[in-house]
Amino acid sequence: MLMTDKSLERNAGFVYGTRVIFVREIGAYFDSSIAYVYASVFLLLSSSIFMNSFFLNSVVDMSEYFRNLPFLLVLFIPAITMRTWSEEHSQGTFELLMTLPLRSFHVVLGKYLASLSFCLVVLAGSFPIVLMLMSLGNPDLGLIFSSYLGGFFLAAFFLAFGVFMSGITREQIVAFVLSTFVCALFVLSGHEKVVEVFDGLAPEWQMGTWLYESVSVLPHYESFCRGVVSLGDVIYFTLLSAFFLVMNAITLKLSRY
Amino acid sequence: MVSVESITKKFGSLTAVNRVSFKLGRDEIVGFVGPNGAGKSTLLKMLSTYLYPTSGKLYVDGLDVMKQPLAVRRKVGYLAGDTPLYQEMRTDRFLEFIGKAHGLTGGRLKERLRWVVDACGLELALPKRVKECSSGYRKRIGLGAALIHDPEVILLDEPTHGLDPLQILSFRDLLKRLRAGRVIFLSSHIISEVATICDRLLVIHEGHLLADGTLESIRRQEELGGADLEDLFLHLVRKHESSKTSSKNAHDGQKPRT
Repeated sequence: MLMTDKSLERNAGFVYGTRVIFVREIGAYFDSSIAYVYASVFLLLSSSIFMNSFFLNSVVDMSEYFRNLPFLLVLFIPAITMRTWSEEHSQGTFELLMTLPLRSFHVVLGKYLASLSFCLVVLAGSFPIVLMLMSLGNPDLGLIFSSYLGGFFLAAFFLAFGVFMSGITREQIVAFVLSTFVCALFVLSGHEKVVEVFDGLAPEWQMGTWLYESVSVLPHYESFCRGVVSLGDVIYFTLLSAFFLVMNAITLKLSRY
Repeated sequence: MVSVESITKKFGSLTAVNRVSFKLGRDEIVGFVGPNGAGKSTLLKMLSTYLYPTSGKLYVDGLDVMKQPLAVRRKVGYLAGDTPLYQEMRTDRFLEFIGKAHGLTGGRLKERLRWVVDACGLELALPKRVKECSSGYRKRIGLGAALIHDPEVILLDEPTHGLDPLQILSFRDLLKRLRAGRVIFLSSHIISEVATICDRLLVIHEGHLLADGTLESIRRQEELGGADLEDLFLHLVRKHESSKTSSKNAHDGQKPRT
């Protein structure tokens, strides 16, 4: 007897479709040795940079860790996201995914949430630093928490952008290079030296200040690192991430015309 | 059950499918024959909702493929030509993933998994990663994934490619068992194979549908009684080429001389 549609339609909701893709993707991350290599390299690099400054400054806080975090994420996030769609195209599984009874946005969101979860697990790998600081002194845990929150939102935005870039190119390396380049622009345009140079080139236009205030993600991230969790910054990162996820779903649909 | 109405698909300046129309009914196994690049896969991709047609209409069980793609996907089981599978996944987990994506859960999912494993002979492949399986097994895993939700319309692009003779025999047997209540539409460039399996043939070349009917009816229509299928196919292709040349000459002859 052929199956009726009713039971299938019940299970075709937004959460169900996203969860099915999420479970497959998260399994694929932790099933692959590359994920462990990424995680190890990131943790080794971020921790060693922090420990170096920690021993030089002898201050019981993590501000140095979070100051360097955006620059590490610029390299680390595109390395995670470059395979998101490029691999589907190279294996031919894009066709398989796009003929399953799931909306493009469910698939995009499932993949995005899986990469975000993987990123959170890697960020959580730095908790031993917090424990070390607590054993050595009395760090400001509220500040550490808000800084982690800033790191989470920044990573979430870079991931959404990286997943989008992976969707518009079929080559992993092209997706990596383009994502790294644009994420670097978002970060470097807020770096004090860059702002100074651009302001100095045309003082009457204040190009550097304009870039810092209008283009860079750093002012929004830095407010988290100062212990300020403002609704404006949360909305800023959330809207940017949502924008690129929606764009990703649209470009996937357009690619089939 | 399936209605294709004047479908055209263009990729830039290339017209892969050119105003093709036909209908498929239940209990039919229909073969789609043509050389490589004839437009078979493109048409199957459009029926599977993967590609959007440039013009024309496609209906599956009365559902507009363009407007109701999700409802169409629940009715269609599609095996793409290059058998795309997640190579790193274990076969059992892969089939479970496809089943869940089709909305199957609990007892129904287990029941369908059991059926697919038995029907496609996948018992030995279940604990292996897909990439560790032979090409024949991979084809059967793809077939299992296409059938797991018990579809009413089964679209198979070069389904026997990579199968050994014994596997081809059991595949034919499976199709015969599946025929009742369903439409099975399969493409192949191996004409004799399609003639063995199918009740009806569609012949396509350079995006044009050259013939539609049973082998006998096409023979009668072309006045080639007794011709084998290869000869019949060559005749249709040559006829198409010569009509193309004559229409081109007529078009050139109408051009004003300068």
